Amino acid sequence: MYGEFDLTLPQTLQEAVKALNAAGKDAVPLAGGTNVLIDLRSQRLVPKQIMDLGRVPGLRGIVVEGGRVTLGARTTVSDLLASPDIARCGPALVQAATVFAGQMVRNTATVAGNIACGSPAADLVPPLLSLDAEVTLTSTRGSRTVALCDYYTGYKADARAPDELITAISWPVPEANTFGTFYKLARRKGDAITVNGVAVSIGISDGRCVRARIALGSVAPIPMRACNAESLLEGQVLTPERIAAAAKAAAEECSPIDDVRATGAYRRRMVEVLVARLVENAVQAMT
Amino acid sequence: MTVSDVNETQPNLRFSQIGKPLTRTDSPGKATGRTPYAGDYVMPGMLHAKVVRADIASARLKRLDVSKARALPGVVCVLTAQDMPDRTIATDIPGQTGRAKLKTDQQILVKERVRYFGEPLALIAAETPDIAEQARRLIEFELEPIPGVYDPEEAMKPGAPIVQGTDNIVATHKIRKGDLEAGFAAADVIIENTYITPFQEHAFLEPEVGLAWIDENEVITIRVCTQVIEHFRAVADAVGVPHNKLRVMGAMVGGGFGGKEDVTVETYLAILAQKTRKPVRLEFTREDSFLGHGKRHPIKLKYRTGVTRDGKITALDVQVLADAGAYVYLSPYVLLYCAVNAPGPYRVDNLNVFAQAVATNNMFSSAFRGFGGIQAAAAYEQQMDEAANAIGMDRIEFRRRNYLKTGDPISTGFVPPSAIWTEKCVDLAWQALGEPTPSKGPIKIGRGIAASQQSYGRLTFLHDTSEAWVGIEMDGTVTVRSGVTDIGAGQASSLAQIAAEIIGVTLPNVNVYNSDSQVTPLAGTSTASRALYMTGNAARLAAQAVRDRLAVVAAELLKAEPAQISMEFNQVFVTDDPSRAMDIADLVKVCASRGVHRSELAIFRAPFTDVLDPETGQGQAHPDYAYGAQAIEVAVDIETGEVTVLKCIAAHDVGQCINRAAVDGQIHGGTQNGLGYALSEEMLYKEGRLITPSFSEYLMPTAMDMPHVETIILESRSGLGPFGAKGIGEPAMTPVAPAVANAIADAIGVRVFEMPITPERIWRALEAARG
Repeated sequence: MYGEFDLTLPQTLQEAVKALNAAGKDAVPLAGGTNVLIDLRSQRLVPKQIMDLGRVPGLRGIVVEGGRVTLGARTTVSDLLASPDIARCGPALVQAATVFAGQMVRNTATVAGNIACGSPAADLVPPLLSLDAEVTLTSTRGSRTVALCDYYTGYKADARAPDELITAISWPVPEANTFGTFYKLARRKGDAITVNGVAVSIGISDGRCVRARIALGSVAPIPMRACNAESLLEGQVLTPERIAAAAKAAAEECSPIDDVRATGAYRRRMVEVLVARLVENAVQAMT
Repeated sequence: MTVSDVNETQPNLRFSQIGKPLTRTDSPGKATGRTPYAGDYVMPGMLHAKVVRADIASARLKRLDVSKARALPGVVCVLTAQDMPDRTIATDIPGQTGRAKLKTDQQILVKERVRYFGEPLALIAAETPDIAEQARRLIEFELEPIPGVYDPEEAMKPGAPIVQGTDNIVATHKIRKGDLEAGFAAADVIIENTYITPFQEHAFLEPEVGLAWIDENEVITIRVCTQVIEHFRAVADAVGVPHNKLRVMGAMVGGGFGGKEDVTVETYLAILAQKTRKPVRLEFTREDSFLGHGKRHPIKLKYRTGVTRDGKITALDVQVLADAGAYVYLSPYVLLYCAVNAPGPYRVDNLNVFAQAVATNNMFSSAFRGFGGIQAAAAYEQQMDEAANAIGMDRIEFRRRNYLKTGDPISTGFVPPSAIWTEKCVDLAWQALGEPTPSKGPIKIGRGIAASQQSYGRLTFLHDTSEAWVGIEMDGTVTVRSGVTDIGAGQASSLAQIAAEIIGVTLPNVNVYNSDSQVTPLAGTSTASRALYMTGNAARLAAQAVRDRLAVVAAELLKAEPAQISMEFNQVFVTDDPSRAMDIADLVKVCASRGVHRSELAIFRAPFTDVLDPETGQGQAHPDYAYGAQAIEVAVDIETGEVTVLKCIAAHDVGQCINRAAVDGQIHGGTQNGLGYALSEEMLYKEGRLITPSFSEYLMPTAMDMPHVETIILESRSGLGPFGAKGIGEPAMTPVAPAVANAIADAIGVRVFEMPITPERIWRALEAARG
């Protein structure tokens, strides 16, 4: 059963941000609805207003321009899978989209919704973190961008002001000598909540690591970058020992908890296993 | 008993329709969405019901105030235990006539003591579902927690909180034969292990739902999804009306698996319809469904096996401890299946089984596909691998030296009357795995085999019967009427196919009316892999009687003897001279004008026995047993513990297929059910509170997880069912989980003794082995 709420159907982005400005915290933006509807039904979420963004033009699409990839906020997970641009400019994101929920959810769930839900297990976030993605937030005051790695401020808390909408997600087109990959460890292969999500983006030039991004899902209150691990790799020759040390550092800097899917101890160990495995895969792919 | 005494073969049978993969009579309606399920039925002015549940597992009800809910406009009725002080509902097995019922009646709504999380406190009927839900939120209750017990071993200790009876022990079964001590003395090696099997949820697509009303005869009528319309008697007793004033009608059921074997929504619906005199609909949410029906028993099985170096089992001692949960339900029977099947399809002459089921404040456990036999299989087949390893013998060879053979007695001393083709099933399944997939890096490949024994037909001391009526119309179409419920396995379609085969009409010319406790002849439950065996036989007898009468008239018209008459595909003809033929429809018209009886009501009786000897467990427990095997190949990532099932072969002797496509379907479904049981399905309780009450936490295998399932269907034509059929509903699942467990152990070199075998459990076992 749903609580009572007002439904607004803005026709333009201007209308949407205006309405959001008026309603503030009382309004919940609705895109694919694959999280919001469940929360409404269980009454974990009891908003005064639901703002359906389905009629706002221009929010869905993938553009590569000026060395950047930009996704409209209502771009769906299936859109990612159908896009040759994403296959080229974000292969880790494609891997995450492939194992994201089930087909029906992929057809409607959006990239911005996955970011906005704030779940530490959100599958698209580690790949986007590994790509240095930025989030564009729009309000009646204008637009601003926030680096995705600064977006989350705590468990289910983020940098979005109540009157702001996520309108786009973008990242620089990866350099040619860069390899990105993602792995989802889960209790089953289809439609599962992630136990560990790991995305890496490794750049190698002249035999040395010139770029290392290691992003982790489900092992901290927020999707996180393993910065200590990254700094152990950047500027170095990626020997098996160095990779092992970085993987160990990643395991040390995450803070997983016990839940119904796995214990924290297992998750921490799997961070080490998977980071090492994914970085090694990247090195092998580029040599 | 010699092999020749056993009904092993019926050679040279030729069927026109039996055994073929025909389109089931229920398929078109399901494929097009036209088939109505119980939840699709509505009535003008119907009310919507809601169950209010306790949110603590062990508590005393201090206060229950429904006044605000009653005052809410649109609320028609709110009931608590105070409104029905003397009412109870029976939870014992339905329809038994062979012995006294257990005294297991329980409160319908909590009077004072809450024994499990989710136990119903109050019932609401309102004009809309929303009002019913608002009323639920207005009900105030106060529960005072009292110490509970959540582990069967704890529940058996002196001073433990008492949930049921005087000592929490709800059932004990013993099986003893031979000389156990002498058997162990003769052993070269003794292998001792403890296996732990988990709770399992049936997770049918269709949660419990029903609609009740009072009909023109003042009969409380309930349209409900159930496996057992015979609960009409228990529900009538619960609401205080005669048995012929309560009618249960089924509908096509969206999955049962044992979870719709006990009473679910029927009692609440009957009470509310009786009170309001209006139609009342109650639909469980998925969470209600998790809390509203019993689960598979978690069982701890301790196996001690004595073997000789040359691979003979000399002794077996099995200790079984089952968690019955908060109420008795079918625990004594489930436990009996576990005890009887403890040695599996192996000959063990020196045997001791001691089995107990113990009450706790966990969710009550009851029937689930496999019914205790499956937990035994999970243990005995892992133990067979452990024993083979201990003496360094190939695991197939070790099994071969111990198989029960046709004519051998099982644990209870009973000799199954049918063929035992375990060896054939194992060998064919194992061969079908083909070339091994190579291991690569941390991905290790392993293979497992498991054989199984699973009864079909209910416990013989219940004195089970089944009835069916068959009649032929003047245009040559056939009607079958039988109370059997169709839970998706093709129960009704099988009856149609049997009648079509015998009377000689095509399948689309047969219509089945089923699942109505007042209008269709009572056929018993769709449980225990019995529907085909029991009701199929009743339909066979009825159809045969009709056919025989038609054949006499046909012989006269076609100038032949009745024995020379064939009937096939709507034609009747002389077998050796098919040019002498006529339409069956024309034959029936002649029969009608002569007053020949064109219908028959038949009853089929299972073997009737007394209970097993209480001290030795010797005697007959079931009519017969089915045997099969599963072969599995897995890939295990030894760093993460992830398992991928690569190959999956199921070989079963089904006696005789009625519909090959339906048999395939049962085996595919049973495999999926078993893979989930082995690998991923987990119900986690915290002090009795279910913390995984949805499909985001309770993880059944999806299409992405399922391997290709190859079925090998053997037909010994030796079963007690129609045309020599056995049952396949439960047997399809029984060997799956141990085959997976054995494959994983083969891959990683250590065994995980507790299911489900999750990635983390594999990782922990490997860590422990690494030291």
